[in-house]
Amino acid sequence: MLLYRTDEWYNRISQEELRKLMNQNKAWIERLTAQGKAKPGRALERRGAFVSGTNGRFVTDGPFAESKEAIGGYLMLDVETMDEAIAIAQSSPGLAYGGSIEIRPVAHECPLDVRERELAREEQLATV
Amino acid sequence: MNTQNQNGYMLLFRGNDWLKSLSPEEKQKVTDQWMTWFRRLTDEGKAVAGNPLEREGKIVSGKNRVVSDGPFAESKEAIGGYFLLDVASMDEAVAIAQECPGLPYGARVEVRPVAAECSVASELKHEAQFAKA
Repeated sequence: MLLYRTDEWYNRISQEELRKLMNQNKAWIERLTAQGKAKPGRALERRGAFVSGTNGRFVTDGPFAESKEAIGGYLMLDVETMDEAIAIAQSSPGLAYGGSIEIRPVAHECPLDVRERELAREEQLATV
Repeated sequence: MNTQNQNGYMLLFRGNDWLKSLSPEEKQKVTDQWMTWFRRLTDEGKAVAGNPLEREGKIVSGKNRVVSDGPFAESKEAIGGYFLLDVASMDEAVAIAQECPGLPYGARVEVRPVAAECSVASELKHEAQFAKA
């Protein structure tokens, strides 16, 4: 999974540059999709909320826009290795302007799935 | 913030340091609760995707596309996983986030509306409209 971290660098470039970048980006995504390497990704709006505390009693509006760490969007890759994922991230047209891309392997074994299998096995054993 | 959004919402589970402080029993309990929670949301058609992310990763940045290790494994800000929700309002998304079983232990959930189109694209459109006006 590619997580785009952005501090809204795109507000600091000219309309011409922005348009050029968007065309590059569109071509980049289309190529990856055609190669079966990327699934649809989405941008996230630059507002939102944080929920924390027992029973989620603290709800605060998230100031996301100013932060360099804020997640601006994501892209799911369907590739086999971290190296390939890194190479794809490095070819992202927007990187030249700012921001960064975090590359995270989707967990092979969700701890929840592992537990579910265990429970299913126990159930099976109990009925034998 | 009861805004409507037909593109859904994303829950980002923040922090993975809190897991460390749990006993094996507590960890098991939270895991079971989390599983039940996700399954219920899926059955109700409210969760359309979800994945845990592995702890390690890489970060690529800058013109020279430098690769560095990250995020830091035990960070309050690190993202541990996500759910993609098919609900129509921020209120409903927040209400679901409030059910997260990790909250009593220190997990934080970020709730973000999914954008209709790339925000860079809407920025440009906005600018173009502004220029025309």
